[in-house]
Amino acid sequence: MSNKIVIQPVTRLEGHAKVTILLDDAGNVSDTRVHIVELRGFEKFCIGRPVEELPRIVTSICGVCPWSHHLASSKACDAVFGVEPPPAGRKLRELANAIAFTEEHILHFYFLAAPDFVMGPAAEYSIRNVIGIAQAMPELGRRVVRVRHLGAKMLEILSGKSIHPVASVPGGFSKALNPEERDRMLPMAEEVLELAKFSIAMAKKDIFPKYLDVVKSLGVIKTGFLGTVTKDGTLDLYDGVLRMMQADGTYEDFAYDKYTDYIAEHIEPWTYLKFPYMKKAGKLSMDLDNPVGVYRTNTLARMNVCERIRTPLAQKEFEEFRSTFGRPVQLTLAYHWARLIELLYNAEHALELLKSPDITSKDIRVPVKPRAARGIGCTEAPRGTLIHDYETDAEGMVTNVNLIVGTTHNNAPINMSVRRAAMDNIKGGKYDEGLLNMVEMAIRAYDPCLSCATHQMDGRLPVKITILNPEGKTVGEVS
Amino acid sequence: MVENKDFLPEYCSRPTLILGCGNILLGDDGFGPEVIAYLQAHSSFQEEVSLMDAGTGVIDILFNIALSEVKPRRIVLVDTMESGLPPGKLSLLRLEAVRARPLRTYSQHYLPTSTLLKELQEIGGLEVEILVMEPENIPEEIQPGLSPKAQEAVARACEIIVINYFRR
Repeated sequence: MSNKIVIQPVTRLEGHAKVTILLDDAGNVSDTRVHIVELRGFEKFCIGRPVEELPRIVTSICGVCPWSHHLASSKACDAVFGVEPPPAGRKLRELANAIAFTEEHILHFYFLAAPDFVMGPAAEYSIRNVIGIAQAMPELGRRVVRVRHLGAKMLEILSGKSIHPVASVPGGFSKALNPEERDRMLPMAEEVLELAKFSIAMAKKDIFPKYLDVVKSLGVIKTGFLGTVTKDGTLDLYDGVLRMMQADGTYEDFAYDKYTDYIAEHIEPWTYLKFPYMKKAGKLSMDLDNPVGVYRTNTLARMNVCERIRTPLAQKEFEEFRSTFGRPVQLTLAYHWARLIELLYNAEHALELLKSPDITSKDIRVPVKPRAARGIGCTEAPRGTLIHDYETDAEGMVTNVNLIVGTTHNNAPINMSVRRAAMDNIKGGKYDEGLLNMVEMAIRAYDPCLSCATHQMDGRLPVKITILNPEGKTVGEVS
Repeated sequence: MVENKDFLPEYCSRPTLILGCGNILLGDDGFGPEVIAYLQAHSSFQEEVSLMDAGTGVIDILFNIALSEVKPRRIVLVDTMESGLPPGKLSLLRLEAVRARPLRTYSQHYLPTSTLLKELQEIGGLEVEILVMEPENIPEEIQPGLSPKAQEAVARACEIIVINYFRR
């Protein structure tokens, strides 16, 4: 008799996820499905609205990474209107992006991922959470949240507000940074950089070596990668060309407004979420031994596709990462290591931007005029490549919208990593909390928007596992 | 080193934090943010109270409060909760009362935070109260705008907040 294990978070934040694990007669994993529910109807909602409203509206799509949507939308509007922001306007956007990245990466590493490593994957759920971190490492907890506050304050100084940003507008940025504000932000940015330096040093010394076996085995799959680089291959999180890398390390660069020539979308009947794949592969196969068309985005992908990082400390870490793991790195948990390199890069980059002489220029925006056009904006969001694609009529009203967000790019690889983790950790129908957490850890490495949902603060396992027989009858439950 | 006063958010430094939770794109789910907007437009400045539209980002704020040295003394969440009452009905609840109800009846953004709130209350020593409105319409697809019953409840919710938490 085959059984079905359903791992369903009791809670959700930005959408929710359910993991279904199908067992064969011997109690081994025959298939898995990760169901991610996203906010639906956004594209339809946008049609008929003035396109310049979209950068403000999109921040409501997701309370987790509003800045990424805000900036990708602004860039799509620039393209629709056929304008380029002045250099200082672009730098202010980049500065906001860099600060938002540091906030997000600190959140993920210390609040979501670190509890698994600091407390151990098999630790009781009651201590494997942010409160556990606060109690086990109170000084570090205070330092982390202090830097998060500093990041939010910097975004507030820069743009007026940090949660639902409105400062980036078609044609540039709406608020110039004055020298006094810049001077207030500089010591804050220095402190963020200090925590970034500390974090990667601490992780390399105390965390990664301890869990290297887990890093080398959990959820490992072989895929291609997608990320943004400059024309000379330097990592860039705000602008550049998209680089699609095959699993063998060969790659092709393309302008992001040509994304439909390189990315196609596959549909599965059991989920609303689409499965983007490499169009040139001709099809998508999530077969673990012979995947076709699968690529990954997010931090590990970006480390794989780039040749270098422009800031000195992150470059040094990048060189060590590459010499340790090679290229491309396929280890799913290496996403965490890559995330800390990006944290360092963004902290350095924010400081670099703040010190650039024209950051306080008042020439930050160009006027725009409506026209019938199609505009595509793309940035790297903390969770992966983010594409906003808009079309307008002659009055600048939206006639068509398509979005591909980071978590969606990673839909196929998340499913594959979960299957790999489940196959490796559930044998003969036997499993326990620690083993099931391995499945969750494989998902969490990708930092999908459901991270928070699978990491609720409950004093017990955050998932409900139901074992069903093929007729749908419950034959066992773990909660 | 940057001084606390130069960056500490109001939501940590003021004694009372009122958080409007929900997604303004999903019908009555936007009730919490709407209440905050109404209070900001119609009430006088309160130096002991911080008003915040947390939207769908409430977990971020609660994580920060959990680890912050300086915390508010009291958190009030304004949210929606389906519990079978007539639409538009308001209830001011202690956290314990909310936890006694089945999890699946909570609105989507609020769900993951109840246990963190419990920890904040028990370990952090904060008081947590929740002002919930029974929604009439929370659509599955994007459809902004409150229902008439929810819209009527906005001013009443503000009155409850002013009476209970504002210094007069």
